[in-house]
Amino acid sequence: MHAQIKNTGKLPPGGSATALTDGRTRAQREELLGWALVLPSVAIILALILYPVLYNIYLSFYQVNLSGASRFVGFLNHREVLGDREFWNALLTTIIYVAFSTVGATLLGLGTALVMNEKFPLRGLVRSLILLPYVAPVISVVFSWQFFFDPVNGIFMDIFYDKLGWFSQRINLIGSPATAVWVAIIFSIWKNFPFAYLMILSRLQAIDQNLYEAAEIDGAAGRHKFLYITLPEVYFVVNAIILLRVIWNFNKFEEVYLLTSNVKVLSVYTYLKAFTGAMDLGQGATLAVLQFILLIGFILFYVKRVIKW
Amino acid sequence: MKRKILTMLVLTLFALSSAGLLAQGQEEAAAAAKPVAIEFWTTETQSDRMATIQVLIDTFTALNPDITINLIPVDENALATQTQTAAAAGTLPALFEGPAETAVSFGTQGVLDIQATRAVVDKIGKDRFYSGPLKVLETTDKSSYYALPYHGWIQGIWYRADWFEEAGLNPPNTWEDTLKAAEYFYQPDKNQYGILVGTLPEAYAEQCFTPIAMSNGAALFDADKNLVFNSPEMKEAVEFYAELAKFNPPGPQTWRARDYYLQGKMAMFFYSTYIMDDLAMLEAAAGSLTGDNFGDLSGADFDPELVKNTRIAPIMTNESPAGYGTVVALGFFQQDDPAKTAAARKFIEYLYTPNAYITFLHMAPGGMNPMLKEIASNPRFQNDPMGLFKSYGPEKMAEIIDGLENVETFSIVEGVRIEEASEITAKQIIPQMLYKITQEGMSVDAGMRWAEAEMRKLID
Amino acid sequence: MVTGKRPLRKIGFALLVLSIVLFCIFPFVQMLSLSLKYQWDWGNPSLIPSRLNFDAYKELLNIGQSLKNVPESIINLLDESPDLTPAQRSAILAKYQDTGDVFPFLKYFGNSLVLSLSAALFSVILAVFGAYSFSRLRYRGRAVVQRGVLMVYMFGGILLLIPLYKVFVSIGLLSTPTGTFIGLLVIYMVQTLPVSLYMLGNYFRTIPFSIEEAAMIEGASRFGTIWRIIIPLSISAIATVYIYSFMIAWNEYLFASVFLKSYKDLYTLPIGLKTLFVSKNAIWDRIMAASMLTALPVMALFMTIQKNLTGGMAAGGVKE
Repeated sequence: MHAQIKNTGKLPPGGSATALTDGRTRAQREELLGWALVLPSVAIILALILYPVLYNIYLSFYQVNLSGASRFVGFLNHREVLGDREFWNALLTTIIYVAFSTVGATLLGLGTALVMNEKFPLRGLVRSLILLPYVAPVISVVFSWQFFFDPVNGIFMDIFYDKLGWFSQRINLIGSPATAVWVAIIFSIWKNFPFAYLMILSRLQAIDQNLYEAAEIDGAAGRHKFLYITLPEVYFVVNAIILLRVIWNFNKFEEVYLLTSNVKVLSVYTYLKAFTGAMDLGQGATLAVLQFILLIGFILFYVKRVIKW
Repeated sequence: MKRKILTMLVLTLFALSSAGLLAQGQEEAAAAAKPVAIEFWTTETQSDRMATIQVLIDTFTALNPDITINLIPVDENALATQTQTAAAAGTLPALFEGPAETAVSFGTQGVLDIQATRAVVDKIGKDRFYSGPLKVLETTDKSSYYALPYHGWIQGIWYRADWFEEAGLNPPNTWEDTLKAAEYFYQPDKNQYGILVGTLPEAYAEQCFTPIAMSNGAALFDADKNLVFNSPEMKEAVEFYAELAKFNPPGPQTWRARDYYLQGKMAMFFYSTYIMDDLAMLEAAAGSLTGDNFGDLSGADFDPELVKNTRIAPIMTNESPAGYGTVVALGFFQQDDPAKTAAARKFIEYLYTPNAYITFLHMAPGGMNPMLKEIASNPRFQNDPMGLFKSYGPEKMAEIIDGLENVETFSIVEGVRIEEASEITAKQIIPQMLYKITQEGMSVDAGMRWAEAEMRKLID
Repeated sequence: MVTGKRPLRKIGFALLVLSIVLFCIFPFVQMLSLSLKYQWDWGNPSLIPSRLNFDAYKELLNIGQSLKNVPESIINLLDESPDLTPAQRSAILAKYQDTGDVFPFLKYFGNSLVLSLSAALFSVILAVFGAYSFSRLRYRGRAVVQRGVLMVYMFGGILLLIPLYKVFVSIGLLSTPTGTFIGLLVIYMVQTLPVSLYMLGNYFRTIPFSIEEAAMIEGASRFGTIWRIIIPLSISAIATVYIYSFMIAWNEYLFASVFLKSYKDLYTLPIGLKTLFVSKNAIWDRIMAASMLTALPVMALFMTIQKNLTGGMAAGGVKE
């Protein structure tokens, strides 16, 4: 028999000042232990993240010259970046990319989880197959996508232009700047929806079936069961997924750059700015700082207002 | 029998000359005999080429046991980036092999050891080099060289001679004929395209664009080093290029689209003589395919006539004729430890010995052509593994090699070497401009204004 | 429970499942198809190769390849280097015939495996303790740390690349293969730690404190409860997190491409594949075969664990 455990939904009662034998209060012991347990993680994160972050901020005030000394330029980089139309284009592209890929992956994940929560033959196999896009290395799937959309030899154009005639001519969807971002979004959804699916599915499986049975006795329709039981149960995990996906997709570099190389989301724009053309490391660092500010703003808003973590 | 004697004779000559260079090398080795390890970055990233270079290294280090050389492949398009990262971290390799333009760009950034380069040129003897390639690498004050020319290729438009003949069109030697043919063969409804010019912001786009601009008398700089990019000649060239790009396969394209040509879906494409190697391989593959086992090939996109009917038009003419090619150079990055530079020098000198040199060049016959005059006429060099000299004929090959003497780039104007132009090439400003104009719908004027602004940023 | 009422609905459901599966695996089918085609067959849009071509796989896996032909130019080179001893000559030849694999798959595979397994292991160990601290203990500064941990995500890989590279070089970590390996390991740990902390923290919160309390009343220490109660109860979540961390490390390439540049022997699969692609060896059948070989191990691994994972979830019977 499986143990049935009810979720209290509350934090454990930890703060009570029960005096213990060693003379310290339980609260004090907890405080020490709490820090001790989290310290290794914090230390390693500080060492490998804090330094680069500070270094980036430092660099953003300099005109970086590789062969000679760097020159302090104050807010010049910031002004130049903000005054550059390409930056705003990149920001817009990023917002489109992040919004559509996040919503798409979450919705598709939710839908798939609902389907996979039903019983049907070969469900185990299907569940495994669905995870494949997510577990395959980015670099190993981009070439297949590139070939799929190849305007001359790809299957996509063969089906939708030659066979179905949905396009008036062969188009390089993955190469042309106007359409590439949409291919990148579809790729991102394809690659990442299994994450949402997996998270939501394990949550669905944890829903007490008694709730549904009770609802059925009350004569609730499927739609109502979904609205009043399923949705509230997955609300938290969906929010967590959205938060994570926004953060991840915002910083996504490999999935975009390796796929098409001309979808200039911020991370790619920063890379191009810092490592190609005039190789402006100072502006690259400035862009990094700006990305940081944008993202932290979003996270604080989301965590405080939506998840109430 | 005759051939054997000849070979023996040549071998003896090689042995003598190699021995001479080696003897000199050994004297220097005595001065610094403690073990030293150096890195060698190469842009020859194919595994078979890497293996051959490794043999050269192994042979060299077997003869010089105190030197270790670590061979590292670096993508040509990533060379500048990797150098930037390594320079920032102080981990530059002792040696690299890469395009001359990139070498000059490194040189102007001050990361190259030009004294060491000069010493090697002097030792080999300036007169033994073709003068054109050496000039590409000369420093501004003409006192030294940024790097040593090692091999080179020329580029042209490769085209389907049978298609042209059937259509009664002239070979793509002039602007007019090229455009006419591109337009004629562009039949997208049949999935067939007129031409391939580079429209992705990669080096390939500039390689296609340069002869077009040159043939219209357009330049980046005048002889007094003033930026004259924004000229009517340049504008015409950009407009013409954008016009040609309309007959490209859809979307931004780069050299990889040569596959379409090999599949018989394209009439012309810009490419280097490296394609000779590929075509020879394709022909070999075709030979094995047309055997008894593959009688049911009809319907597949394989055209056995392709290789036979491929020709090159190496010179583009409008106002004046212009060709294009690239010299690939060997260069020294500055090192803190002089022993590393000494070891690198010794290895480069070894690479110029005929025996090692010909082994290197035979990695890609047609694609890799010598920079020392005596090698070009060397019978062993002409007896290449692909049999290119035989099939294309010595005259054609000589023409290709001679073409290197006349290699034209934006960075030499009336004999004056202009480093800034190499910088512009290394930073791929022109490819980016061409991408913006052909793919992002920017107007030619706006694109050129953008490019000029970027160029000015680099110069100042 | 819901299905099976009307046949029409059943068919619709089956179509839905089918289209989801097709969407997921199509790129892999495409990959497989192209890897088995001859060059002259690439222009043919059909997924079924006109003729099966296993050359790419044979070449990449070094199956049935006779010893590599030594080109005349190399034989000449060795013959005409009179100072070489016969032993040196044959050593060089043997090495030539032995190296130059287009894609030394097994070596790259081993490197990827060791690196990813250890990075994920360390990450999960740290995360179990950290997440326990977040979800069970109250102390000042917890909220700050909890949020601070997410900071890692605000800077994508590229922005950390140059500073980290500089630090690692200046402390001499990148001058030896071992140091480079450790450097990458630590970076992968940092990349996976936050998500491990986050996911495990969420999971631990769903375990009722009453179970732990009971154990503690019976005299178990905090570590004891973590070991005997928290870990067994959340083993499926920990496995998920472990696999997740493993994937991140396995698939990462940006840092690997910069850090491992000088150490060809340490290349991971993604770097190997990237190197193959940028080289002019890159022809479609080889690229696709190499892609397939890079993706297959991790997919196979995941599918085997996936079964245990689902099984573990059912057997554990943990419901909220």
